[in-house]
Amino acid sequence: MTARRSIQRQLITAVIVSQLLLAGGLAALSMYSLRRQLRTAFDAGLQGRSMSIAALVRYSEDEPPKLMFDGELTPRPLDAKHPDAYKVYSSDGKFSAQSPNWKERFDRQTQRQFWNVTVGGTSYRAVRMAELPVLDSEGAGTPATTTLTVVYAAPTEEMNELYANAGLYLGIGSVVLLAVTAGLAMWGIRRGLFPLQALANSAASVSPVNWELRISEEAQTTAELGPLTQAMTAMLRSLQQAFTQQREFLGNAAHELKTPVAILKSTLQSLLHRPRQSEEYRAGIEKALDDMARLEKLLHSMLRLARAEQWAMGNLKRDLPEIELGATCQSAMERVQPYADLRGVKLEFTGDGKARMRADMEDLELVWANLLENAVRYSPAGETVRISVTSDGTGARVAVEDHGPGIPMPEIPKIFDRFHRGDQSRTRDTGGYGLGLAIANAIVGTYGGTIRVEATGEEGTTMAVRFGRSC
Amino acid sequence: MRVLIIEDEVRLAENIAEVMRESGGYAVDIVFDGEEGLYMAESNPYDLILLDLMLPGMDGTTVLQKLRGGDVDVPVLVLTARDEKETIIAVLNAGADDYVTKPFDLGELLARAKALVRRGKGQRSPILRVGDIEINTADHSVRRAGNPVSLLGMEYRVLEYMAHRPNTVVSKSELLEHLYDFNWERFSNVIEVYISGLRRKLDEGGSEKLIQTLRGQGYMIKR
Repeated sequence: MTARRSIQRQLITAVIVSQLLLAGGLAALSMYSLRRQLRTAFDAGLQGRSMSIAALVRYSEDEPPKLMFDGELTPRPLDAKHPDAYKVYSSDGKFSAQSPNWKERFDRQTQRQFWNVTVGGTSYRAVRMAELPVLDSEGAGTPATTTLTVVYAAPTEEMNELYANAGLYLGIGSVVLLAVTAGLAMWGIRRGLFPLQALANSAASVSPVNWELRISEEAQTTAELGPLTQAMTAMLRSLQQAFTQQREFLGNAAHELKTPVAILKSTLQSLLHRPRQSEEYRAGIEKALDDMARLEKLLHSMLRLARAEQWAMGNLKRDLPEIELGATCQSAMERVQPYADLRGVKLEFTGDGKARMRADMEDLELVWANLLENAVRYSPAGETVRISVTSDGTGARVAVEDHGPGIPMPEIPKIFDRFHRGDQSRTRDTGGYGLGLAIANAIVGTYGGTIRVEATGEEGTTMAVRFGRSC
Repeated sequence: MRVLIIEDEVRLAENIAEVMRESGGYAVDIVFDGEEGLYMAESNPYDLILLDLMLPGMDGTTVLQKLRGGDVDVPVLVLTARDEKETIIAVLNAGADDYVTKPFDLGELLARAKALVRRGKGQRSPILRVGDIEINTADHSVRRAGNPVSLLGMEYRVLEYMAHRPNTVVSKSELLEHLYDFNWERFSNVIEVYISGLRRKLDEGGSEKLIQTLRGQGYMIKR
């Protein structure tokens, strides 16, 4: 089994990773900028100090003349253990002076003004200041052309320590803030996902007994759940419809089966209720077989309907040949002919022979046969039932016209209902089981066609089936 | 006893009628739609009506309501394929006395029919007693003063009908109406034949005469 993806975990991970990146980036940026600022300040200090050293230089008139510092005024070292080191020399190289701790390693032959150097295990930063004028308030014989160069190094330990401390504080601060914000984010995400849980709870309470999806206030007002709740509501509605339909069908079917079963049972019981001659038994068994045949016919019709409805629902694509509609009408007519003869009704066909579509011959035959049977059932003896096929650019139309009494207005919406029987002629001699039109409707539906009552009245009824071009 | 079956399933109605005639000794009329059923029930004196609910013309519940609204208080036994509580409650409230759901057992239907006929005559026990006569309406056996009497089917039916109405004059035409269904020819002398047969068999022991003839009016059994 693959591990299940958790939206919550993913969101929390994303938030924490981005927070980490943010904190890391901010810290690096702060450290970099701090370091630059510290350096700049340090360098400015170095420059100031070297200038002041240059200012403290005195000439001695001694021979050879040399440079010296006004020891009293030398700046106090920043770091008592590691005092600053410096060296001053004149541009002509004749004079030079240096601090007591000066080592030549402090100096570095480089074009850069500042550099870092480690002497005796201590880091220093050094500056070279060239062409500084000699300021000597007292000296008179100062060679005016000579300028001074100062190399000044100061230990950076303090700055480094400062920097390290700042890094430490920043690090601790970041971690603490990160922990707090991550906690907040987790809480927020969990809280934000509550409506989803609420929705799941309401969905769990939906059952065939209770179709209502009670969406909590929280889930209703959550924008992201809108499409989901809408889809769920729509899905539930269509499921309920289908379920109710199925249940009704089952109920109706069970009910319809009771009558033929009751007949069969009564036939057998009346046969058995007293002793009889063998011929009587024979006749009784034949009657029972008759009753069986009716039961079988009903079962067959119900199965046919269930199958057609399943096709309609599943949009099952069958590999179908192209057929001519007129031919199916004629074979349906042949099927209904004996019944029409029995009722004294004539059947008539007209067609242009050009209406073609992809379909199963048997399906369409059944549709026309059911429509014809229905028309014959309601036709007075001597009348004619006409079936006609026409086609045009938009598709094909098959119409069945009778001269029966017409369908009462309130009946029209119900005629395609399963087990619906027109009340006028519901005696079982003439009436079927009320499945014919439902079957026809379902089959026409599988081919994307429509079936409807086009006209009905005292002069008769026209039922028309239309198939579009694409059928 | 005369029974009306209002049922649109021809085969079912015929089977019920056959068993009722042969085993119950009933005279049976059959109609296949509601309107005709209502007309028949209103214009003939039935002792029991078997009524289907799903009927062409007029549905069974409406027939029942019209019958009860129009002072027809014949016992009605409803035959229904619907066994939901709502239907049954509605049917009983509309005035039905009992119901059976399809597919039912013909034996049970017959027993319920007999019970309803009995109750319709204000009689609860299947044993009917008039004087020293004991009539078992369940198995159609008759005893006088404890001795079994063997009767023809029609003789029994005449006796049972009259025994339900002791001390009442029962006319020949009333007997005919109740003992024969609509399709049978009505010969009044048939009744006379059965009455004399009954007298011969019942009065054999020499005790007092059971059936009295009131000239021009009919017959009467005294309690």
